[in-house]
Amino acid sequence: MLRTVKPRNARSKRVLEKREPKVIENPKKTLFLRGTSASELVQTALNDIHSLKKPLTIKFTKKNAIHPFEDSTPLEFFSQKNDTSLVLFASHSKKRPHNLTFLRTFSHRTLDIFEFSLDPDTFLPLSAFKNQKPIIGMKPMLLFCGAPWDSNARLQALKSLFMDFFKGPTVDRVDVEGLQYIIQFSTPEIPPQTEVAGEAGPAPKIHIRAYLLRSLRSGQKLPRIELEEMGPRMDLTLRRVREPEDEMWKEAMKKAKKVEPRTKKNVTMDVMGDKLGRIHTGKQDLNKLQSRKMKGLKRGKDDGEMVVGEEDELVEKVKKTRRE
Amino acid sequence: MSKDTGKPERLPVTVSKPIPLAFDLGELTAFDNNPLDPASYISSLETCLSTAARDGAQLLINQILTTTSLKSTSDGVFAELPDPITPLPREKPLPKPKEPTKWELFAKKKGISSLRTNSTGKMVYDEATGTWVPKWGYKGSNKAEENQWLVEVDDKKASKAGKDVEEFNPRKLSRQERVDRIKKNERQMKKNAAGKGSAVGSGSLKPRGGGVKKGKGRK
Repeated sequence: MLRTVKPRNARSKRVLEKREPKVIENPKKTLFLRGTSASELVQTALNDIHSLKKPLTIKFTKKNAIHPFEDSTPLEFFSQKNDTSLVLFASHSKKRPHNLTFLRTFSHRTLDIFEFSLDPDTFLPLSAFKNQKPIIGMKPMLLFCGAPWDSNARLQALKSLFMDFFKGPTVDRVDVEGLQYIIQFSTPEIPPQTEVAGEAGPAPKIHIRAYLLRSLRSGQKLPRIELEEMGPRMDLTLRRVREPEDEMWKEAMKKAKKVEPRTKKNVTMDVMGDKLGRIHTGKQDLNKLQSRKMKGLKRGKDDGEMVVGEEDELVEKVKKTRRE
Repeated sequence: MSKDTGKPERLPVTVSKPIPLAFDLGELTAFDNNPLDPASYISSLETCLSTAARDGAQLLINQILTTTSLKSTSDGVFAELPDPITPLPREKPLPKPKEPTKWELFAKKKGISSLRTNSTGKMVYDEATGTWVPKWGYKGSNKAEENQWLVEVDDKKASKAGKDVEEFNPRKLSRQERVDRIKKNERQMKKNAAGKGSAVGSGSLKPRGGGVKKGKGRK
């Protein structure tokens, strides 16, 4: 664990404040990194997912000697340093070729880890599809196809992972024009019989496809939707899993009590984002109104209260100065 | 049903599925629990997937356009999304409520309401002048003692300060006392912030020192 540093200046203080636990959290950021050996295939896959997830991402380019299932503390360290709670780690070895590891953290400690093998035969990168890619930062639509997403406990966990990983920031409204692409996660009914290490059941297979939306006029109110695949096309098979500890999971799933935001009266925001407010000024006291300044109207040093006789002296003085 | 009779061919926008889809519009997500067709899954995987995707996308778009309230602004048409319903783990724990300071505990025990939040707030009514004056700060009433035109010389205090009665300036004393009080309070605040003072049940709740120590200021 990192020691907590006291901020030395206002800027770093603001940064730390942004990272503090909040009731309504910041959108989760994702860290992309590779192991000491990573095949070109997984690196491309890593880059493609990175470009889908931009701008809530941080990408490392150097090699990292990390084995998440043996020791995930380096990833926890990176998570804390960069304030990223999602990690995607690419590696390749003889035992586990074309390996993609998804890791989630809670409070910068490992929550769960899922390891997948990427099918090299069916993989197609973003660049394989020659079409206009969606604008950066667009919120994707997600689609989970297949009955096992609900019936199988393992796949339920995977659904939570993929949704968490790909959903993008939570927004309260979305531009209808901005609904540009959909990511589909499908799983077959009877998974092919491949054994997971140390596990009896067959490993679930997941097909990830991303499509661009084309809306056509249908002559009705609703548009007709046609899809065009944009990539990446990935077929994943689950390898190893580290499930979350019950205690940590419970803590992570805690919901804050709904806080009703206090409505500020008389303050509105217009279309340009300018703040408009109605204020009430009191009645102006016209007696204190500053009119034109003239020498003759000036008050003396001691406010007005003059002793009898002094006044005469003053008049004399004024006369004197005028003569001069 | 048909509004425009000009177009002969109409593209279908409805999809019928054996199991209706579930939606989480807060996250723009659709859950299609219909199993993928096993025959076409084996024979032509891509067609099988893209058909399912198209149907899902159509239903999701239909759902967004029909159930959410659409607002058209100069920037475009916006769909107001509901709150997400799928429970997902948080990134960090819920923020903890701030621990009460030693003073706050003491005040609660004694039923003392804060200076700022009690009925009058910062201002107090000055009977002598008939105006509202601030309790502290610029022209604060806590400086009334310092601004007296006549100040009594307290021999005791003067001797405590280690000065001659002649040399001793009683005017400065009251100001010094106030400044010392402020400094003491700052020290306690620091202590509280460091977490030493705020531990619940550590020692007695009595404020240490019993208030202001008199005649401590000048040396």
